[in-house]
Amino acid sequence: MTDSPCFRPLTAGARALTLPADRFKTARLTAALLLPLSEKDASARALLPFLLRRGCAAYPDFTSLNRRLNELYGARVSAEVARIGETQALVLTAVSLDDRYALEKEAVTAECAALLRSMLFEPALESGLFRLSDVEQERRMLTELIESEINDKRLYARRRCEELTCEGEPFSIDRYGRAEEVMALTPQSMTAVWREALEQSRLLLITQSGRDTAADSLADVLKGLPCRSPRPLEAVPAPRGKKGVRRVTERMDLAQAKLVMGFVTPVAESRSAPEEVAAMRLMNALLGGTPHSLLFRNVREKLSLCYYCASSFDRHKGVFLIDSGVEEQRAAKAEEEILRQLDCVRRGDFTQEDLEAARRSVVSQFRTLGDLQSTLAGWYLEQANRDIPLSPEAAAAEIAAVSAEQVRKAAESLTFDTVYLLAGQDKSGQA
Amino acid sequence: MNSTIYRNQRTDETCHRIDHPSGLTIFVCPKPGYRSCYAALATRYGSIDTTCLNEKGMAEPVPEGIAHYLEHKLFESEDGDAFARYAETGASANAYTSFDHTAYLFTCTDRLEDNLEILLDFVRHPYFTEETVQKEQGIIGQEIRMLEDNPGRRCLFNLLRTLYSRHPARIDIGGTVESIARITPQLLYDCYRTYYDLHNMALAVSGDITVEQVTAVADRVLGAGHDAGGPQKRAAVLRTPPVPSLTEPEAVEESRVEQAMPVSAPLFYYGYKKTIPEEEAGRVQSPAELAGAAVLSELLAGKASPLYARLMEAGLINTSFGADLFDGPGYAVFLFAGESADPDRVCEEIRAEINRLRREGIAPADFEAARRAVYGRMVAGLNDVENCADARISDLFNGREPFALIDETATLGVQLVTKLLDEDLRDECAAVSIVRPA
Repeated sequence: MTDSPCFRPLTAGARALTLPADRFKTARLTAALLLPLSEKDASARALLPFLLRRGCAAYPDFTSLNRRLNELYGARVSAEVARIGETQALVLTAVSLDDRYALEKEAVTAECAALLRSMLFEPALESGLFRLSDVEQERRMLTELIESEINDKRLYARRRCEELTCEGEPFSIDRYGRAEEVMALTPQSMTAVWREALEQSRLLLITQSGRDTAADSLADVLKGLPCRSPRPLEAVPAPRGKKGVRRVTERMDLAQAKLVMGFVTPVAESRSAPEEVAAMRLMNALLGGTPHSLLFRNVREKLSLCYYCASSFDRHKGVFLIDSGVEEQRAAKAEEEILRQLDCVRRGDFTQEDLEAARRSVVSQFRTLGDLQSTLAGWYLEQANRDIPLSPEAAAAEIAAVSAEQVRKAAESLTFDTVYLLAGQDKSGQA
Repeated sequence: MNSTIYRNQRTDETCHRIDHPSGLTIFVCPKPGYRSCYAALATRYGSIDTTCLNEKGMAEPVPEGIAHYLEHKLFESEDGDAFARYAETGASANAYTSFDHTAYLFTCTDRLEDNLEILLDFVRHPYFTEETVQKEQGIIGQEIRMLEDNPGRRCLFNLLRTLYSRHPARIDIGGTVESIARITPQLLYDCYRTYYDLHNMALAVSGDITVEQVTAVADRVLGAGHDAGGPQKRAAVLRTPPVPSLTEPEAVEESRVEQAMPVSAPLFYYGYKKTIPEEEAGRVQSPAELAGAAVLSELLAGKASPLYARLMEAGLINTSFGADLFDGPGYAVFLFAGESADPDRVCEEIRAEINRLRREGIAPADFEAARRAVYGRMVAGLNDVENCADARISDLFNGREPFALIDETATLGVQLVTKLLDEDLRDECAAVSIVRPA
């Protein structure tokens, strides 16, 4: 087995992780600025990576920068915002063809790394400020992005259920912030946010490149980092929970209703022993993580109530969701069957075969994820708040050691909190 | 056993093609250093195949959505479903139906031979009863409902229905709740018999594996004897019976379709139907045409294009904007898609840009940058074990040599792109589909 990768300290609050990528045709560089998710700052911070993606000193406008990326064999620099527990991650990622595959063997990777570095530290400013036209365009697009969350009904419903489950807690803040706040951002405020982010964020740099690519040129990305005083990482408190189960129904013009059930648990990565988190991950697979899971076999295959019925676990916060797309008039029946299946797991009423099948599925999933550069980078980015990252192999070993009793206890730790139903406009089905 | 090796120097990729005596065409794509193995078993049968041969060998029409329904039902056998068998090996399995093929797939880290055996076994053993077929109505009905609520998909299918008045690319892959209600076990068996002949199928496996690992399982499960059909049958059975009514009128009858849905802003698809003459009915795009269309998309609507800059500055698009060729047997649409407060103005600007580029010609440096971008992204696609195998199946079913698309892109000249620009984007063949906020 290869050694587990570790975070190498660079400067104050900045760490780097290097992952071998010989078998890939591309090199990938991820730079994440990590800040606490806060109601006040979320919108402005969310705009930052998109604004930085627009240009840099040498290629100050969007078109000339993209033209250069095209010449570099369609290299891509993408901006995104991720939520890791109650941390907001502002991420720029550059993916370029490995030099071996350039038609004339040009040094594509090093130039892409230099571009990414320049976007972070030498954005296109005018008189020391971001340009108004850039701010205006990115503002509009981020607003559209926030508003378009409604277009994907399943994601939207899950997001609403999370909000309701953790109402008033930072976890419920949208990673993109709020549209009306985004529209109020200015070149002045954004320039201040950029400087503050460079000074106060914790930084994680993930490099994935072939052995022939100068790893130094990638690590150089953080050269030029100003004197910093990064904000310390704050612990993520357990969800507060509520007395009884809250039920919320919202209506839209829909063909299919979306049922989302929210549960809270004290089990989470920063608060619990690793084996408890591993047990919850395995429990999730057994209950609703695979096409062989209890929910899939019973709610879908046996009762034909739905096309999908699945569960998921946010291990940073301790929020567990189960969701399904159903006919509105059959949502109560689906809920009843979902709770019945969960209850079986709580009582330890599941077979050893089903548990082993779930275990094989999770282990296999962990072992294959390194075959996609983006997935592997995401795996480590998710662990940006840990001191020592867990490799997929090490995580698989943890899953291998979980007992049936630990799985039962994981299910027992869930407290039913919220039912969110996104339903169609008319109640024709209820007649 | 007839075996061919394809090596691609530029990208350092290899694949083996084996014409197995059972009639099955097998591809093995070695990916050294990868942990996952991926396999896809596919038949050249999709939603554009609107008839099947009945027991008397006569072609008869089938309900819309039946290829997809069949895909769901094949997972079931008399003694349990295939997911339960995969659960014993730890493989992650799935399947999908497209316009022109149906594929059954899995990803695994070990027990490749066992998983291949499950795959080759369950797909060849249909088991349909009144009761099991009935049960699936609820599940697929909900899948159809879910897709009805997907605005992007609705917008695309509305466009296809507008552009194509006869070609079955206008039919939704899943069918409708009404059409799937007409599906019976007998119809499923007829479709199965018509299209699930090994001569009409391909298996592609990728990962850190050898040809022998795969052929040993195929020999054991499918038999290693002499292929009674021979290469003639392999060629002849493809797309049988032929897709009816493939020929389309050149121009579109309606050039606009709108629907209201709960979306935040209008979505649009603006498409140019490519003319495929009657004598070429059912023809697929050549590798050169595909490479040319990809470069043309980049030149017209890529992030470095003048059109993109203009529309962005005017506040008319966001990063969801782009262009692509959407193609298959007998159909090809040059598509522009995005989200915009004013889709009609975006379409106007697209037409203006096409005319400008026709008038001024494609500058050599612009062409070179676009060609490199397309080439680089295609090579990047080889990172993915699934892509490597899926591309072999799609190339086989569409009569393309492995890696032909990458090689065509590496050597593409501007002349072909100019020709596509001049001939394929005709106003009378265009239509726009808009989904507006309700």
